[in-house]
Order: sequence, then C-alpha cells, then structure tokens
Amino acid sequence: MLPLLSITTFLPITAGLILMLWPGQSAKAVHAVSIGVTGLTFFLSLAIWAGGVVPGGFAQVEELDWIPAINAAYRLGVDGLSLPLVLLTTLLFFLSAIYAARLNNKAATFVVLMLMLETASLGSFMALDALLFYVFFEVSLVGMYFMIAGWGHEDRQRAALMFFLYTLLGSLPLLLAILGLYLGSGTFDMRVWIDTPPLTGLAAMLALIAMLFTFAVKIPSFPVHTWLPAAHVQAPTVGSVILAGVMLKFGTYGLVRFSLQMTPEAFTKAGVVILAFGVFSALYGAFAALAQTDLKKMVAYTSINHMGYIVMGVAVAALATDPNIRAVALDGATLQMISHGLVTGALFFLVGMLQDRAHSREMDDFGGLLGRVPWLGWAFILSAFASLGLPGLAHFPAEFQIFLATLQAQPWAIIAILAIVVTAGLYLRSIAKVFLGEPNKKWLAMPDLDRGEKWVIIPLLVLIILIGVAPSILIDLIHITMASMNF
Amino acid sequence: MGRELSFLIPELTLASAAMLMLVAEMLRLPRLVLALGLAGLAAATLLTFPVLAADTTVFGGTYRIDLLSGWAKLILLPGTALSLLLARAELAGQEREGSVYALLCLVTLGALMLAGGGDMMLLVLGVVLTGLGSFALVSFPRNDAATEAGMKYLVFGSVAGAIMIYGLSFWFGGIGSTLYSELGLLAGRPLIASIGLLAVIVGLGYKASLVPFHFWAPDAYDGAPVSVAAYLSVITKIAAIFAFAQVLRDLPTSTGWPMVIALLAAATMTLGYVTALVQTNVVRLLAYSSVAQAGYFMLAIVALGVSPLALPAIIVFGAAYVAMNLGAFAVVMVAGRQLDDFGGFGRRRPLIGLSMVVFLLSLTGIPPLFGFIGKAYLFGAAIEAGFLWLAVIAILNSVLALGVYLRIMVPMYAAKAGPASAAPIALPLHVVVWVTLIITLLMGAYAGILPS
Repeated sequence: MLPLLSITTFLPITAGLILMLWPGQSAKAVHAVSIGVTGLTFFLSLAIWAGGVVPGGFAQVEELDWIPAINAAYRLGVDGLSLPLVLLTTLLFFLSAIYAARLNNKAATFVVLMLMLETASLGSFMALDALLFYVFFEVSLVGMYFMIAGWGHEDRQRAALMFFLYTLLGSLPLLLAILGLYLGSGTFDMRVWIDTPPLTGLAAMLALIAMLFTFAVKIPSFPVHTWLPAAHVQAPTVGSVILAGVMLKFGTYGLVRFSLQMTPEAFTKAGVVILAFGVFSALYGAFAALAQTDLKKMVAYTSINHMGYIVMGVAVAALATDPNIRAVALDGATLQMISHGLVTGALFFLVGMLQDRAHSREMDDFGGLLGRVPWLGWAFILSAFASLGLPGLAHFPAEFQIFLATLQAQPWAIIAILAIVVTAGLYLRSIAKVFLGEPNKKWLAMPDLDRGEKWVIIPLLVLIILIGVAPSILIDLIHITMASMNF
Repeated sequence: MGRELSFLIPELTLASAAMLMLVAEMLRLPRLVLALGLAGLAAATLLTFPVLAADTTVFGGTYRIDLLSGWAKLILLPGTALSLLLARAELAGQEREGSVYALLCLVTLGALMLAGGGDMMLLVLGVVLTGLGSFALVSFPRNDAATEAGMKYLVFGSVAGAIMIYGLSFWFGGIGSTLYSELGLLAGRPLIASIGLLAVIVGLGYKASLVPFHFWAPDAYDGAPVSVAAYLSVITKIAAIFAFAQVLRDLPTSTGWPMVIALLAAATMTLGYVTALVQTNVVRLLAYSSVAQAGYFMLAIVALGVSPLALPAIIVFGAAYVAMNLGAFAVVMVAGRQLDDFGGFGRRRPLIGLSMVVFLLSLTGIPPLFGFIGKAYLFGAAIEAGFLWLAVIAILNSVLALGVYLRIMVPMYAAKAGPASAAPIALPLHVVVWVTLIITLLMGAYAGILPS
C-alpha cells in the first residue's frame, strides 16, 4: 500500500528543494515544474478522496516514529473534516501555480515558497499528531511572511511584519495548550485526545481560551482581525488566494478539531460567548466591507463576515442538544469553509487580474467595464453573487444549514442574517461602480482574460455552481464524520 | 582507582591533547596544534559513548558520570571543535595563534568539570579553570578594546568567584561536607541554604550571563575575536547551566530556590531581548540574545526533580543552542560586525544568507527547526512543574525575539545589494556553517535519538 497521504504532502516541497538545489533554469521551466507538481498533487488528492473516510475516526492513517521519548510521532490521516480541505488546498495551489506562470521576478524563489506553503497546508490538515500539526502550522507562517515581504505591493514590509508578529503571537498560546494536553495524557496523538479529552475543569477552560485565541487570530475573528486587511492588500494575488482560501481555514479547522473535539466540555460552557463572537464578526465584517472603496480590501473584509458564519455554526453545534442539529450545523460550517475557499479564491484572482491591467483597485477609478471585458466582468458578477449567498451557488447550501441549525438551537443569533443583506448591498454597489454605468475612457483598451487566466477562473466558477446545485457531493463525505462526532 | 579513571577517559584524552598542544605551540607549529586539538576532541567524543549509559559517581561522589555529564561531553566537545575551526578561519597566520586553540581546549576541560561535578570544590575549580582561560582568550587581540573587555571580564569574574566561594563555605559549615549529594541536610535551615544559594547564583549566573550578572557579556564578546565570542556564548554558558542542574537537583525545593530561579529567568529573558532590540552591533545583539537564551534554559532548571522533561530539555536545547548560535556567529564572521554590513547580504551570498535565516528562526523557536524542539521541551517542563506563568512570559518573549532577529533578517533581503562580495570564505568557516546548518535543519526531525 502506497503511503498516499505522505506522498501528497511532501511531493510539493521535494520538488521545491530540487528547484532550489538546481538553480539557473529559466522562469518558464520553473513554472512548468510548478504547474506539473501541483497538478500531480491535485490528482493524488483525488486518489485520497477515492480512498474515502470512515465514520467515528480517521481513515488512511500513516504512522512513523519521531520522538518516542515523549510519544510524538509522525501521524497522518483524513476524515470528513480534513479531506474536503485537502481537496480545496490542492486545487487552489494548482490554480495559483497556473496564475503565477506570468511572474518573472525571482520566479524560482517564489515557486519554492509556494510549494513549501502547499506542503505546510496539507500537513496541517492531515496531521494527527499535535506537535506535527504545530510544525506545519508555523512553517506556513514563515512561508507566507516571505511571500508577502518579497512579492507584495507598496507597503509590503510593514504588512508582512505585522502579519508575522500577529500570527506568531497568536500561535504560541496554541503551543501552551498542546503542551497542557500532552501533560494531561502523556502523548501527542490527537486521536487519543479526541477519544478521551485529557483535561477537565479549569485546565480545560484555560487550554480552550489559549486555543481560541490562536484560532481567532487565524480565522480571523473580531477583535483580532486587524492584520488581515493589511496583509491582503499588500500580498501578491497568489498570496491573497492562498491566505484567504487555505490558511484562514487553519483557524476554523482548528476550532473544530482542537477546541471542539479536545476540550468539548469547556467549549459547550463557553459556547454562547463563542457564538456571540461569531455573530459579531459576521456583522462587523459585512459593515466594514461596506465602508471600503478598495476592491481587495472589500473582499478581505467579506472574509471576516463569511468566517464568522463558520464560527457560528461550530458554536451552535456545541450548544445544540439534538444530534441531528449538531450534524447539520457542522456540515454547514465545513461546507462553508470549502465554499469560501472557492468563492473568495475566485474573487481575489479576479481583483488581481483587474489590478494587473489597471494598476488600481479603487472602485471609483472604473466604470462600465462589462462591455469592455465581458469574461472578467461576468466571472466577477457570478462570484460576487455566490459570495452574497445567492441560492444555486456555493455559499447558499452552507449558510442555509448554519442558519437552520442556529434558528433551532439559539434563535437570537439569527440576527447575523442581517449581514447577508449588507453583503448583497456592497457587492451590488461594487458591480455597479466597476462594471456598469458610464464607461471610463481610460480603460477602452483593456484586454479581456487571456487563455491562462480563463484556465484559472473557469474551474472555480464551475465548482461554485456545482456545489450550489449539488452540495451532496461534498456533504455526503462531510456528514459521515460529523454524524458520528461525539463531544 | 582503575575503575574511576576508566570513566574519565574522555576528560583524560582532552587533557593530554591540551598538553601536547602546548608543546606544539612552543615549537611554533600552529597547524599541528589545531590538528592535535581536533583529533583530541574527536577522540574524546568517541570515547564518551562507552560511558554514556553509565549512571555512577567516581572519586567518592565528587565527580558524576551520568546522563548530564555524558551529554555535556557529546555537546561541548564537538562544539569546541567547531569553535577551533572558527578561530582558525579568523586568526590564521597571527602570532600565538596556537595558544588560542590550546586555551579553548583547556577551558572546555573546565567546562566538563562544571557539567560533571558533584562537589562544591569541583564547582570552584571548574569556575576558575573556565574563567582563567576565558580572560586570556578575550584579550588575545591585545588592542585597547580587547584589553578593556578582558579586564572587565576578569574583575567581574574574580568578584563573582569570590562571592561564590564565600557563600559555599556556609553550605560546607552547615552540612559538614562539600558533596552536593549531602545538600538534602539543608532542609529546614533556610538562612544557610539561602546564603549558599545566592552565592551559587552569583557564581554560575555570571558564567551563564543571567540578569543581573550579565553586564560583562556584551563588552567581552565585542572586544574579543568573533570566534572567541561565539565560543564563550555557547560552551561556558552551557557548562554553567549543566552545573546549575547538578547543584540544584540536590538542593531541597523547600528552600524556595525554584521561585528565585523562575524570577531570574523571567528577568533574564525579557531584559535580554529588550536590550537586544536597540543594538546596532550584531555581536552585541547576539550577546544580548544569548543572555535571553540563558533565561530559557532556566525554564528547565526550575522543573528539576518535578518534571521528567527537565533534564532532556536542558540537553536537547543545549545541543540546539550550540548549533544555531555557533552558526549565527559564523555568519557574522562572513558578513561583518555591524548591522549595516547585513544590508543586501542575502542577495550577495544566497546560501549563507539562507543559513543565517535558518539559524535566527531556530533561535526564535520556529518549527520544525531544532531550536523549536528544545523550546517545546522547555515549555513542557516548566508547565509540568507548575510554572505556567513563566512559560507564558517565555512565549511572549519569543515574539520579542522574532522582532530582534528580524532586525538582521529584513535588511538582508530588503536593501539593495552592496558591492559584489570580494573575499572568498575560508574553508573552515564553510565547514562550520554547513555542519551547524544541517544540525539545525534536520535534528528537529531526528530528535528521537536524544535522551528521554
């Protein structure tokens, strides 16, 4: 039996190392390798999907000794929570590699960093050993720091530093919590922690608070979200896509995997507070996005809004007593992670493509672009409609399930639905300003999407529609795990 | 006698090598001195393996052959070998070059005595032996800065040593023995216990450069040759920390020493990094960073006897610290002492620049590098011993640490490249950078071979 999970995880970084130790190739060759490797990784992840998951635990587990003295081992596995995220990761990195092929500035280093980030992301989602998880988790920070600092826009140094300090400070409490859980159980095996939560009472609550801090920074949730707009605005397009599409999911993944599954009692006790933070983040993100005139910043703030719904879903699952509602809430939250990855990934790509052409992201600089660049325009409109939760598109089934469960378990929290109205308003406004109205003469010569860009954007649009009309392709997989999750 | 000596073969090997090195130096054969030193260190390292599993004492309990002293040899001897190579790269061709190598080996012998000592007299001998050699090493360049640095170091060291001996005499008076293993008798005699404790903290705290006994370190490192600064920042510091562990694990915790050490640790980490934030001289910056790192070691010291992670934590972080700190100093030897020298360095020398990034990230404690594994052990030990607040302070300081180290990393890539680098890098320097780089990168994955 091939260790498929390990091969998938380490294939990108192995290719990256080879590129690094074998310098001097042309940018073209480097990008060819990068597209080939990320594509192969994507197909490998499909093979993992074919392997399936099992209820009530992890499937396709791979184990190796690492530090036997402290019971830390190399352990990988997937379940209905991590497998969809793995698929999302390999897809977004594949598309990012295609998009990045136009980059000539230090292309080799950029590609190496991107491949390193892919390994770190896949490892974070598949690790079943807390120390190993932490290793992958932090490596992703370092990779993203160098990506923003090296290839970002005008104010990149400051944004990168803020991102690094913020998320490092954010991630260290997680290390404390992991050590606490280790001292309570004598092993770093996450399966053991999930089956028999090692901490109780005050210790569990302290561990939960530490973990919530870490994941709240990562998600990001109000009030520790301030790094996100700065990082996104300055990051290169690929960096934004990876950051929003993949790395924010570490936060929500950790919220379920660590906070909910490993300190379930404390999580239920703190459930209402967590729910309140989720509701507030969703509303805050929507209103803050409404105030933006910079397209990229606007999309960044809507991330805070969408991630707020996920926090709500997880908190509702903890508070609900009916197992069916729990499963509905968690199904919705997990699907929302995937939908957000696809939709926000598409939006960041499109804003990046617009910026490549106009060197501006200000809504007021544009106007009437739809006639000029119909591909770009319609793709943006479709993604925007998906992002505001239109039925038939990716966000709808996810948000519907989250709100359904919320209404049954904690009806007051349904006020978050107000945010959908706000998001609808802000997207319609941005569409009106950028793509409709009086054409701005400056952009008469703007070219529409070229073939490479269409290759990047079409798969995302197809999946956004597919998940919108047939969410069961993913829900079935997610539900296997969520229906059997005890906490 | 034969049994006892057989356990001391690594120390005896090193001592004989040092004697032969002095003879070769008198014959003015620096390359032979270097070769003898490297061979002696290699032989002593290999001869440590047969006694590594032993857990016993020799010479009436005064010298311990245990996990700590065994791993001290495996860490300090190769670390000294790397320091010899650094010194060779920096001082080749200078007059009295061989004396540096011989002194380095002698100081390491003192370091081994500190790490293995089970008796107060041996502690004093170790402090004096490491001290005397170090003073001479610091003033080796014979210019004003070096003389001043050596003088400060000597005065500071003499006072601290005298205080230590004075305080230890209280312990001797209290228990009627100089053996650490008798320190349990001090339980219930808080006054005597605390005077001796204070003395040990002064004497060893000065060697490990704990706050507030760290003032000599930046001056001494800056005045000394970079290779000597590198050596002092790792070998004598780690020896002092191992000595701390040997003494304090026998001292009853009822005397309250863990809290004292914990407060010192918190002050050391914080003050070390805060001061490092404003340095413009990279050697001084690394000196303050090494002060702060000494504070991190103390996280394991406070957990001695309570947490089974404490001793492994000291050993693992000790090994990691030797690799990453020597590596960082080696890169300073390539780049230059001033922060400005690092502007564009990463573009001029991509591979060495990249290794500097690895060393600095490892010093910060970013996984999967070796330094992270060490810090995970340290934090675990402190939490298990009930010092959660100390672990939180240590973690907050890790963020400060990142700020400190980014001050070197950012200009390396941000600024435009200066003149294309001129001088080729000496071979020994290449060896040190590569060896420490490989250890820092890979030992995280192979941490399983270290002791539990």
